[in-house]
Amino acid sequence: MANRIKEFRNKLNLTQDDLAKLAGVRRETIVFLEQDKYNPSLKLAHDVAKALGSSIPEIFNLE
Amino acid sequence: MTTKQYQVVKITFVVFLAVIFSQLMYGKNYLLPIGVMIAGSLALMLIRRRVSGVIADERDYATGGKAALLAIQIYGWLAACSMFIFYGLKDTNPAYEPIGMTLAFSTCLLMLIYSAIFRYYNRIKLMDGKLIYTVLVLVFFLVMAVFSIRLFSGEDNWVCQNGQWVKHGQPNFPAPQTECK
Repeated sequence: MANRIKEFRNKLNLTQDDLAKLAGVRRETIVFLEQDKYNPSLKLAHDVAKALGSSIPEIFNLE
Repeated sequence: MTTKQYQVVKITFVVFLAVIFSQLMYGKNYLLPIGVMIAGSLALMLIRRRVSGVIADERDYATGGKAALLAIQIYGWLAACSMFIFYGLKDTNPAYEPIGMTLAFSTCLLMLIYSAIFRYYNRIKLMDGKLIYTVLVLVFFLVMAVFSIRLFSGEDNWVCQNGQWVKHGQPNFPAPQTECK
């Protein structure tokens, strides 16, 4: 599942640590997400999208 | 407190507890270590509450679940194989039999606990809270009753009679090495 977390994060000038705090997870989880090595739960996907001021379909490509 | 500070405190705390625990065991004090363990766990829980950051998230729980399942499978296989070996060698040394039985029962207990927790998360979590509590209390008393009957029945044990250890029933372990008075 490809995602655009890094792209959106860079646009907002957020560090991985900042995003982790906003989404309520550990920084390592953001690293895993950005490298497409972890499929998040629906709640985490929602929290990450919300933290990035976007929506799940915009951030995560399910195809 | 940050998560890094918490990790340092936790490791220091565990090392400190391990030293106290081993010293107490070495001094043949077997009750105090239980108190130390409970006090240590409570203290760690209190410290954990002071942490501002996220200690573990959903990825940690998912990884932990996979690791636990694999650990149970590996332990199950190792314990089962060792149990058969120890049980097969019981004629060469009678002490091997209780070791084999301990491995067998510990594996069964581990599987039972795993199954119970799996069932809880899979189905029972949808049930009413009071019903779960009642079932847990009943199961606890049932296990304690079976354990008490087995432990205090006095069957299959070594009894001290006239300065000698005499078999009572069919104990599956050798006579105690301590002096019979």
